[in-house]
Amino acid sequence: MNRILGLLRPSRRVQLGPLEQQLLTVLWQRGSATVRELLDDGEVKLAYTTVMTTLDRLYKKQVLGRVAEGRAFRYSPRHTQAELERAAAGEAIRQLLDSGPESSLPLSYLVEAVSEHDARLLDELQQLLEQKRRELRSKEKH
Amino acid sequence: MFAARCLGVSLAVFVLLYVSLSLAVGRGWKLAWRIFKPRLASGSADLLFVLRILPFALSCAFTLVFTLPSFLLLEPRGTDEAIGTAPVALGLCCLALFTIGTLRAYAAQLRTSRAMAEWLSGASVMESGPEATVLQTGKHSPSLTVAGVCAPKVLVSEDAVATLTASELRTALRHEMAHVRRYDNLKKLLFRLSVFPGMKHLERAWSEEAEIAADDAAVSSFRDALDLAAALIKVSRLGPIQATAELATGLLHSSTALSTRIQRLFAWDKIQVPQPDSLGWKYALAPAAATVICLFFSYSSVLTQMHAVTEWLVR
Repeated sequence: MNRILGLLRPSRRVQLGPLEQQLLTVLWQRGSATVRELLDDGEVKLAYTTVMTTLDRLYKKQVLGRVAEGRAFRYSPRHTQAELERAAAGEAIRQLLDSGPESSLPLSYLVEAVSEHDARLLDELQQLLEQKRRELRSKEKH
Repeated sequence: MFAARCLGVSLAVFVLLYVSLSLAVGRGWKLAWRIFKPRLASGSADLLFVLRILPFALSCAFTLVFTLPSFLLLEPRGTDEAIGTAPVALGLCCLALFTIGTLRAYAAQLRTSRAMAEWLSGASVMESGPEATVLQTGKHSPSLTVAGVCAPKVLVSEDAVATLTASELRTALRHEMAHVRRYDNLKKLLFRLSVFPGMKHLERAWSEEAEIAADDAAVSSFRDALDLAAALIKVSRLGPIQATAELATGLLHSSTALSTRIQRLFAWDKIQVPQPDSLGWKYALAPAAATVICLFFSYSSVLTQMHAVTEWLVR
């Protein structure tokens, strides 16, 4: 996990651009792919060399792994989407905590935000529950 | 000296196997889970439990079936051979592992007993069943939880009783009873006994699957699913998720899992929850029988080879 966190630190050269994010998302869905497979599927509408360069960049940033397959490479993500998201969230929280002069102040903002988020989430789930119950009642009437 | 060598060699083989298997499981459980994941949540939780406990169980079985008999049957008792540095060092490591595991399990049991004593002061029996007793507790206890290993008790706080409707409470109690039937607290105790670093993620994954398995066991219709979802929402509104005792399993696990579980319950009418296959264990019969037959015919040669390995270890 520390390795993943290391990737996301702003001081390092591994912040992902939109193109890199797009290709990474496709690779998460597929599991692994060669440049040709990505282009043939039609999900990526870019030039062959652009995809090849972007994947190579992701490989050098240690976001992707690759194995030789004939004259090409087969690329696959080194981390799951959840692992990267968790690492990114952790890093964002760490930056927030380091931002203030008093360490307890940002933490209190965070607790407040989480509580608000939890309450909002529960409200949304409650609304959804009521809607489902209404649907069930009307289904039972018919 | 013979007994000391026997003990040293057995413990050394145990620890070597245990460490290698634990490292393999710690590294490869996600892959194994992805490949063999059963469709049922209960099967998935069982698979994770088996993976977690596999290093300890296999090492114990191997030591008892091969290492110990090979030494007792093939090692000459008259020789005054020294134990050897490697078996002593590895044996001490093994004893340290056992001690840490036992202490952790004991501490968990102690903390749970203390917490239960606090929660149960002034509690009254709501329902007494063959599997577990349901007790109504005061305000300072978790909303809904099953606590204890040998004689687990289902605890429902007075706030939960006041907040939930009768059908919501019934479904939530069925969820807790599923934890009792699946011995989830005993499994947690076994995790603490078979100590090894780096198993946290596997244990967390088991915990989440165990919750979903209990949800599936509690729900038999879409109405039940909505009742359980309502109970989850209401109980989480009662307060933040409380850190319950280690050998207790609450209705709420973590806020991430909560949202996932509720969304899953909402989609209960769309997802096909497969029926449990009561004959599933029969699939394991053929490989088990084949293993026993192979073992029967090759046992003496395996013991000889095992003895050669232990001789090399002693030298």
